Parts: sequence; structure tokens; C-alpha cells
Amino acid sequence: MSPRAHSPPARPDQAFISVRGLTLRFPVYGYDAKSLKKHLARVAVGGRLEQARHGSTTVAAVTGLDLELRAGDRLGLIGHNGSGKTTLLRALSGAYEPDDGQIEVRGKIAPLLDLSLGIDPTATGLENIRLRGRIAGLSARQVDDKMDEIAAFTGLGPFLAMPLKTYSSGMQARLAFAVATAVDADVLLMDEWIAVGDADFQKIAHQRLLGLVERAGILVLASHDLDLIRLYCNKVMRMDAGVGSEVVSVKALDELLARPSVR
Amino acid sequence: MEITEHMLRTGSRGFRDDLARAVEDLRRSGQGLGLAWSLAWHDVVSRYRGSILGPFWITLSMAVMVLGIGFLYAELQNIPLATTLPFVALGIVFWGLISQTIIEGCESFVQASGMLSQTALPMLTFVWRTVLRNLAALLHHMVIVVAVIVGFGLWRTLNLPLALAGLVLVLLNISWMCLLTAIISARFRDIPQIVMSIMQFSMFMTPVFWQPGARVGMMDAVLTWNPFFHMLDAIRAPLMGLAPEASTFPVLIGMALIGWAVAFGLFTVTRRRIVHYL
Repeated sequence: MSPRAHSPPARPDQAFISVRGLTLRFPVYGYDAKSLKKHLARVAVGGRLEQARHGSTTVAAVTGLDLELRAGDRLGLIGHNGSGKTTLLRALSGAYEPDDGQIEVRGKIAPLLDLSLGIDPTATGLENIRLRGRIAGLSARQVDDKMDEIAAFTGLGPFLAMPLKTYSSGMQARLAFAVATAVDADVLLMDEWIAVGDADFQKIAHQRLLGLVERAGILVLASHDLDLIRLYCNKVMRMDAGVGSEVVSVKALDELLARPSVR
Repeated sequence: MEITEHMLRTGSRGFRDDLARAVEDLRRSGQGLGLAWSLAWHDVVSRYRGSILGPFWITLSMAVMVLGIGFLYAELQNIPLATTLPFVALGIVFWGLISQTIIEGCESFVQASGMLSQTALPMLTFVWRTVLRNLAALLHHMVIVVAVIVGFGLWRTLNLPLALAGLVLVLLNISWMCLLTAIISARFRDIPQIVMSIMQFSMFMTPVFWQPGARVGMMDAVLTWNPFFHMLDAIRAPLMGLAPEASTFPVLIGMALIGWAVAFGLFTVTRRRIVHYL
């Protein structure tokens, strides 16, 4: 049964995600094959060219996946390593183009997949806030408007004028977290719950994330931590080797896990 | 609150659809030119962090090179210094723009792999980043250009509008070259080395330091078939108050049109795959 069947129709003012028959294949360009010489050598040998054309290795990372999410849905993605969770998140962020099927997302997407994205260790804290904010889609003006709030949240005070490489890893994480979560988004994508830092900071980080999730219409969280998923999500989907199960209520999580495989 | 952001991604629906999406990428990268500029400026600033002269270090070393080569070639070619020095100075500065942009073009996508694989930022933003970064470097080197123009009285004869038109045409041409090298280098990691050799070779084949002589035999071929000669000529000749070669502007316009068609065609075909190359 298609998960769309029991979803209410989307209202024009609300975020939604609609994925239909999504298939993502990765061609494997081995490190060797990346060299031009190898490529030329293959062209030179007629027989192997055919093989290279038709027999080239591709990994099907996601196969025929359907997913419908509406505002208010907090989806937990579970599955083994390599089951396609991160790939799905990257596709939802718009970075990966589908090979088949389609992805439709309405609303501003904030991918919080990698906190260190766009962070330059030689630049100062303030510069990093500015740069990261720009990458996240804020205008220079918006970054200026948010600067005080972000700076205050990091709790780094005078250290913000110092290069990031002088920070401890915890301090770097605080900064990265503060900037990454300074966006207003309708769709939040997270690869593991990203609350970081020492115990005190984790507490306020949790609160901030919850606020963000509250404001955002939709959360998609990939995690191996089932307690976390029970805590923050109301729906779950299990992925096995690139194939997604149907979306079920988080109450049915144990049932979902008990299945040998979703296929 | 009305939500305006909307993303629709589908599997390939043929070349036309892919082309429309490539154009969409171009449009979005145009809107996000501010971001490309921020990234480019950040590159410039971070490259020279902690140094006192900053980007002017290159300007300084370029000035030293200009003086050295200017004097040497004036002597070697038996041409008055007043002709050679501006020629060499403008040659080196604008050659730097051309060759650096093409060489750094190779890294445009490779360096941005983190951002490309996690965000929906338009890919061409990273090509503009490379071009703008080199434009920022050129701004620093304008010190040399202005010094030469003032010092040798070129301001009396220069044709600024034509030189600016030449610069625009050169930028149009080096940006498609930048896009092309960016795509191919992402796929084949040998390309940066090849591009580097080609640019090094071209520097000697192009009248950057040496004055083009009478156009006979080999010299004619070197000048006629060398795209870089036309690029340099379009900017340098008007600045020196000379008329560019009759063929220069038509060649640059034609090259820009064909080059962009080829580079954009390749971008259209490979756009979906580029992120997987990285």
C-alpha cells in the first residue's frame, strides 16, 4: 500500500515532502579508473570498452523508495550502515539528483548533515559564522542580524575573534552547532542527533534543536539510537539495502525492527 | 505564511529537460553571485592570513619580474625600454589572470565536494568563485597597471572603453575554460597536471614577454592559432594606445560562443554525475 493513500492533502502554506519511486545509483569510479591513462587504455582495447560501458559497476544506494511527509511529521530513519539513510538525506537536500523517480519538497530545507561543512580552521570564529551562514543561504544582511544571537549562543565570548584552530574540539563544535542551527527552516534533515559539547551545552543544544524542530514543519532524522528516535520522532521508516519500508508510527518501532527484512 | 521554496527533482527526462535544469542552475548561480563573491573573498583573505603585505605579495613579486624581464628583453630584442616595459608589465598581469583562472578552474568542483554533496547550492557558483577570486587578485595587480600607464604616459593614448570590452570578452572566455576544466578534472585527476603543462607551454608561445615580429611563417601561425594571443591583445593593445589585430575581437567573440556552447553542453550532460565524480 502506498503511504500516500492515507495522507491528508497538503495545504499550500505547509511544508511537505513527496518522494516517489526514488532510485539512486552511484557509478563507482575507482581510484584507478579516475586516471585518464586507464580510460584511454580501455578505449584502445575494443573489447573491453564494451565491457566498461555495460558492465561498469554501479551501486544502487536507494531503490524504488516512496515517502510522503506532511507538516508535523518527524520521521526517524533506521537501518544498518550502508542501508542508504545518508544517501536519502542528501537526495532530500537536493545535492543528489534521482536516477529514477522524483523528489518534491516544499519549504526551506536545512541539511544539518555535517557540522564541519564550510568551516575554515584558519579563520576566526566570527568569520566562520559569517561564511557558514552565507553557505546556509542567509544573505549578508541576515547574517549580520543574527550575528549577536549566534555569538551569544556559542558562549565563546572573546574567543570569537580568535582563529578556530586555537579552539578545543568542543569549542569548535559549539560554534559549528550554533551557526548550523541559526537557520529558519521548514524541513530539517539530520544525520544523527547533533547536540554536542559538554553536559551543560548539550542541555541548551537539545533545547535549541527542539525549538528548531518545533518551528520546522518536518524533521527527518537518521539515527542508530532508538531511544533518540522514540524521543523525537512520531514516525519511522526502516531501510534495508536501499529499500525503504512503509512509514509507520513510532509506536510500532519494535514491530518494524522484529521483521527479518523489509523486502 | 506562504512557503515559496519548492524543489522538484526527477530522473533524467532527456536532453531538453537536462538543459532546462542546467539553465536553472545558471540562473540560481547568478542570483547567488553574492555568495560566490563571499567565498572568493574569503579565499583571498585566508590565503594571505597573517602576512603583512597580503595579496600584494604577488603584486610585488610580479613587479620585480616585470622590471627584470622588461630590462632583459629590451636589451635582447633591441627595443627601447619605454616600449618594452609597459608591454611586459601588462602582458604579465593579464597573463596571470588568464592562466591562473584556467589552472585554478581544475579545482573548482573538487575543492567544493563537501558543499556539493550536502547542499543544493548551484554548481556554477563554484566556477564563479574561481573567476571572482582571480578578479580580486587582478584588482590588487592594478597597482602595476596604473603605475605603468601613469609612468609611461600611456594615459594620453589609451582606449579605455575598448580595453574594458576586451577584458569582458576575456572573462567570458576564461569562464567557459574554467567550467570545462572543472568538470573534466573532477572526473579525471590527471587533467590538472595536463592543464598546468599546457599553460606553461602557452606562456612561452604567447607574446607575453617578447614582442611579436613580422607575421611570416612560424610566427604567423603562432599568433593566428593561439587563442591566448588574442586574449592578451584585446586588453593590452588598447591600453597601449594601439589598435588590436583586426582578427582579435571576432576571434574572441566566436571563441566565447563556441566555447560556452561546448562547455555548457558538457555541463548539461554531466551535471547529475559531477557530484559522484568527487
